[in-house]
Amino acid sequence: MGRSITLAFGAAALLGSSTASMAASPRIERHFVVNGRPVVVIQNVANGRIEVKSSKSQEVAVIATQNSSKINFEMEQAGDRIDVTANVADASASPLDLETSLQLTVPEETELQLKTENGLIYVEQVMGDMTLESFAGEVHLKEVSGYIIVKTTGGSLVCTQCAGKLDFNSVGGSAQILQPALTNVNLRTTTGNILFDGDFIRTGLYSMKSGKGLVEVRFSGNDSFDLKAQTATGTVDNQAAAFLKPDSHGTVRRFGSKFRGLFGTFGAGLAKVELSTYSGTIRILKRD
Amino acid sequence: MQCRDVEEVLEQDGLAPLPEAARMHVARCPHCQGYLADLETIVSTAYELPAEVEPPSRVWTSLLARLESEGIIKESAAPARVAPASWWDGFGQLLRSRALATVTVGAVIAAAALLQLRQPSEKALPPVPPGIQVTLEQLNQQEGLVRNMHLAGASPVDVALEQNLQQIDDFIADCEGHLKAEPQDELAREYLYSAYQQKAELLAAMMDRGRSVN
Repeated sequence: MGRSITLAFGAAALLGSSTASMAASPRIERHFVVNGRPVVVIQNVANGRIEVKSSKSQEVAVIATQNSSKINFEMEQAGDRIDVTANVADASASPLDLETSLQLTVPEETELQLKTENGLIYVEQVMGDMTLESFAGEVHLKEVSGYIIVKTTGGSLVCTQCAGKLDFNSVGGSAQILQPALTNVNLRTTTGNILFDGDFIRTGLYSMKSGKGLVEVRFSGNDSFDLKAQTATGTVDNQAAAFLKPDSHGTVRRFGSKFRGLFGTFGAGLAKVELSTYSGTIRILKRD
Repeated sequence: MQCRDVEEVLEQDGLAPLPEAARMHVARCPHCQGYLADLETIVSTAYELPAEVEPPSRVWTSLLARLESEGIIKESAAPARVAPASWWDGFGQLLRSRALATVTVGAVIAAAALLQLRQPSEKALPPVPPGIQVTLEQLNQQEGLVRNMHLAGASPVDVALEQNLQQIDDFIADCEGHLKAEPQDELAREYLYSAYQQKAELLAAMMDRGRSVN
């Protein structure tokens, strides 16, 4: 459609522009018809929640709500790309004034690039690559698949029934990966905790690193993986020693006394799992 | 022993004499022979690199013009940087751009890794190479600027970012302290480099945010 819709609040409303009537409303709803697999880009500098769900419809629906007129929303469509940007119109606005929320309904196969400062990012039942960034907000994903990149400074990630490939990088955020079908996982946090509770896909690669936090893995009896768990000054709490064949490759001997951690193999050792922490705890458990 | 075991030995011990099992595997594995040859080429090339590169002034002038044309730096600030004393002098200014900051710190990490490769594994590693040390000091200077910039703002996001920055600083201090006692702890060094990179990215993000909000 190539059209651009600028919904200007605050200053525009004061100037009596044509968008003034929209500015008075705390809720804006727009629909963008798309042909193929859309790309949705949200740049939300405000404080609020972004929720994305899918539908069978070939359109992207955006509903924006806000607390004050101190935020400007710009929504633009260029082919199958939809850009939504929230800008602060008044630098003196209080955090409460900057609270907004965006609710999107997208086709099942959609690529997402969402960026916010605070507030929850929630994505459910979307298939497609996605990059989700937040400073302090949490990221909750449910039944999503694709190449998923999540980057936060303090926000945590909860990923339930996710599939594909996952990269998570955070300073203080934690990551919980529940019932995954992920073939490639790369989790890194400096002070947060990591929980992986689910199956390791055969031939999958799993790397989980926390500087100071707890790295906990709960695997199932059907899994097949090689495990390397390493720490600099922390501890390795292996509660599954009875199930792990110790160091079947003889690797630990090469590390000699320098190595703090363990190698082990479960089943045929088809997946590769690497856990590490600088000063935290690595806990390895087998589910019932 | 398999190819990935050899790779792990090389990752851990570098090109120091390989264990017997690894040597036997390499002797009959063309893939590992090629891998080993590539590594030896990289290391020998690295030895030929000068410790610090002083670019000719025309390079800096050209770079400056490019940065200005892309709006990454302002023209008014140019005179002070036309003839820098060394390659690293521009680092502080470069950090003002998030993309360049990330690239620059990426280069720092790469340089650190390169210098690490140059150390024989049986010797104690130095705390931080001199060139990197200067860069890290400039990183700390940027931290001062960012902290001052954010003192004005007390929004929940500002507070959270300050806390995250403090967490990284504490972690870096912890790793550095540990490495003084155990300089050969590769895992701690890996975490330290990763924390440096996270800190640079966080500072750049805070600067960007400070500019957009203020």
